[in-house]
Amino acid sequence: MKGSLGTSLVLHTLVLTWAMVSLSAPAPMTVADVEALPVDIVPIEDMTMMMQGDKTAPMLEKPAAKPTTNQKIVEGAENAGENDVDLKTPPTPAKRPVQVEAAAAPKPAERPTPTPTPEQNEVKDIAPEETAPKPTEMAALPQPKPEPTPPKPEPTPAPEPTPAPAPTQAEEMPLPSSIPLPAAKPKPEPPKEQAKPVEKPVEKKPETKPAETAKPTDKKEGKKQETAKSSSSQKSDFNADEIASLLNKQESSGGGAKRSTSPASTGSTKPSTGAKLSLSEMDALRGQIQNNWSTIAGIEGLQGMVIRVTFQLDRSGMIIGEPEVTSTGGSSMARRTMEGGALRAVLKSQPFKGLPAEKYDAWSEVAVNFDPSELGL
Amino acid sequence: MEQVALEAATHDVSLWALFMQAGLIVKLVMIGLIGASVWTWAIVLDKYVSFNKARKQFDQFEQVFWSGQSLEELYRTLGERQNNGLAAIFVAAMREWKKSFERGARSPIGLQMRIDRAMDVTMAREGEAYEARLGSLATIGSAGPFIGLFGTVVGIMTSFQAIAGSKSTNLAVVAPGIAEALLATAIGLVAAIPAVIAYNKFMAEAGKLNSRMEGFADEFSAILSRQIDEKLQPRQAAQ
Repeated sequence: MKGSLGTSLVLHTLVLTWAMVSLSAPAPMTVADVEALPVDIVPIEDMTMMMQGDKTAPMLEKPAAKPTTNQKIVEGAENAGENDVDLKTPPTPAKRPVQVEAAAAPKPAERPTPTPTPEQNEVKDIAPEETAPKPTEMAALPQPKPEPTPPKPEPTPAPEPTPAPAPTQAEEMPLPSSIPLPAAKPKPEPPKEQAKPVEKPVEKKPETKPAETAKPTDKKEGKKQETAKSSSSQKSDFNADEIASLLNKQESSGGGAKRSTSPASTGSTKPSTGAKLSLSEMDALRGQIQNNWSTIAGIEGLQGMVIRVTFQLDRSGMIIGEPEVTSTGGSSMARRTMEGGALRAVLKSQPFKGLPAEKYDAWSEVAVNFDPSELGL
Repeated sequence: MEQVALEAATHDVSLWALFMQAGLIVKLVMIGLIGASVWTWAIVLDKYVSFNKARKQFDQFEQVFWSGQSLEELYRTLGERQNNGLAAIFVAAMREWKKSFERGARSPIGLQMRIDRAMDVTMAREGEAYEARLGSLATIGSAGPFIGLFGTVVGIMTSFQAIAGSKSTNLAVVAPGIAEALLATAIGLVAAIPAVIAYNKFMAEAGKLNSRMEGFADEFSAILSRQIDEKLQPRQAAQ
């Protein structure tokens, strides 16, 4: 017995040590990396009154989007972001910022461009008159600004051109040398003409090129074209900048152009929605009427009947004038009865309470639908 | 202090860590169950060896017994050593026979009875030896899961108390305590399952050995009674 007890002990120690060593913690379950959805329970009014802000930021007193580094102000922009063009789509992250390398090279070559300053000045002289009032329409016109800074156009255009697609810039390279020649021509043309000498001597292009060169948008040329556009196609919705930035394959597109300087705070990514009656307030109004609505039992022909009562309220919640009652469905007898009942209910429940005064515009006119077949009895 | 907090946060769930995290009662239950498992396997090994040996001895003895060798001679060779099983029954019967017969037994019936009695006693002793400790196997087999369950219940109770204290229902907080508690049931089952299987197997085997001994005792008793008749007849005839 002692022998077998010893053997058993030895075996157990062996098994237990083996278990300790090899049966260590089981491999932790690999849970698919699901982003936790933070769910906040918010009164519906807060939701409907939500201001533009940053969803992930903590609540601050004043809702604001993420501070933007791009401080160029785009007038009329509604969506917060770093973009030069106001777009509703969220910004797509650039995969490789280095890809723009083609555009980086031309930078030094850019410098010479400022030399034809006289030309620029000319442009500006004309541009302000036509473009200044328009930027809101275009939403994205990058620079209504340059006008205040005519003496120093070099710094602003220089940094921006870098993201511009390479081909156009390559075409611009010869700019300095060839500018004098086409200078006499209308403003939108100079870039194209210089481009042509490089590729084709044909003169056709000037008409087609404006749209293409519009892509860089940041350039003086861009401005020129805009001025041209604003004068010619003021009424069309076509926004070349927006399209161009969407077509731009090299740079990420998307993102708004509204700038924010204050620290980020909670809010929706969408621009704020206006004041509207929230569901709870609607319910309160409906409840008040329903409490006073006594239906008559045993009426037949209620099937499919809908009674609509429209009335106007003053700020104290009293009905102005006579409510207008219309009804559809059901038998005419029952309809008349129910119309009377609905009208009485509405009249009886005034003054309406619980309606926020600041939203008066939203509830000044109320339409209530009565569905006797559903609510009655 | 910081270290402790860190360890608690990572929640090591290896066996040793689970054991060390367990409360005192759960630990005691686990240690007790491991002890029960050790004991179970000690009995299993012991019984396995001893039953094998007994079966072999039975076979050997039967071979020798039925080989036609004289019983006197067999008794002389076996009488000197420690016997068990069939040999022990044989020796006991022969001893009784010798004692009674050498001194000149009066009644053949009394002699027969005494021999039977001696064989019964030896058989009972041998059977007891075979079934010794099988009872503890039965106990471990039936009580092991309950003891483990007790450990689990206590462990889960304490871990729920801890959860109530921490005010977090995160699964990561709940899981280690429950895993540690369930370890107690696991050990209980590990101890109990082999115990039940071994108990059934060895009880059956002990029953087989017992019936073999009984059969031998009956046969030997028949042989001896024939011998008694043969030996006593001439005496009675002489008288």
